[in-house]
Amino acid sequence: MAKRKEHFDEDMDLGIPSKLSADLNTLFQPQVGVPPEVDRAVMDRAHKHFAGIKSGKGRLLRIHWAWRIAAAAAVIILAFSLDLTKQTTPTTDRFLLSKTQAADIDRNGRVDILDAFKLAKNIESAGPAETEWDINGDGLIDRSDVDVVALAAVRLDKGVL
Amino acid sequence: MNKLTPIILAGICMIVPVLAQQSEQDYSTAQSGVRFAPLHIYIDSGNSSLAAYQFELKASAGQIKIVGVEGGRHEAFKEAPYYDPAALAKDRIIIAAFSTGSDLPKGRTRIATIHLQIIGETEPQYELKLIVAADADAKEIPAEITFEKGEI
Repeated sequence: MAKRKEHFDEDMDLGIPSKLSADLNTLFQPQVGVPPEVDRAVMDRAHKHFAGIKSGKGRLLRIHWAWRIAAAAAVIILAFSLDLTKQTTPTTDRFLLSKTQAADIDRNGRVDILDAFKLAKNIESAGPAETEWDINGDGLIDRSDVDVVALAAVRLDKGVL
Repeated sequence: MNKLTPIILAGICMIVPVLAQQSEQDYSTAQSGVRFAPLHIYIDSGNSSLAAYQFELKASAGQIKIVGVEGGRHEAFKEAPYYDPAALAKDRIIIAAFSTGSDLPKGRTRIATIHLQIIGETEPQYELKLIVAADADAKEIPAEITFEKGEI
């Protein structure tokens, strides 16, 4: 049922004379031999090429390791320079420091608890208030201003002993 | 593996000093002995009503750390007084309080208690100075300040 295809290139006898066949073979046969000098030249170039790649790769590896060591050294120096066990202590609000003069309510030249006490009494009695008593600048003169004055009074950097 | 090596080394170098310092602290604490004790502060205002006070305390000998502050016995000063939070873990503190109420103490009254961490065997000595005491009119009054060492 399947129709067999016939090939005419190898299996068929074309009736070519043997002399012609030999001549054609000689003419079209590929040159498979490589001259030794060409072979050596190719090998030399290949050696040079791969030697270059190898030395470049080595340099690249050295650079990578240098970076790693430098990074590790930087981390170690940083670790030693930082006192990691040092505890941070709470500090007085900077706002207080800048408002020390305003906190001297009785204007006797020092800020103590009596300034806060007088301000508190004034607020409770709804007496006349001065705008500068708004120590925290929130637009109100209230207990929070008293607290700011009192905290300014107990600031540690103004001790008397 | 090549990438992990420097990370591990760096981690070790960071952890070792911390652990060493911590163990050194623990060792010194265990060696020297640490105890906690309250220090009760009293003001004697005589016949005057005490409405406001401010004082300063510091250790003149021994090694202490202030670890807490609480108010006094009388209702007028029961609330925790004002103090600088920066004084905690140090050996010096300024404490103040006032009361605008009408019920004020007279005579000798405990106005505050300071909780201390005492480090070492040396018994600490304290320097206590009354900065100001005032009556209900905010007028300064003569008063005497004293302390008593408490036990836990």
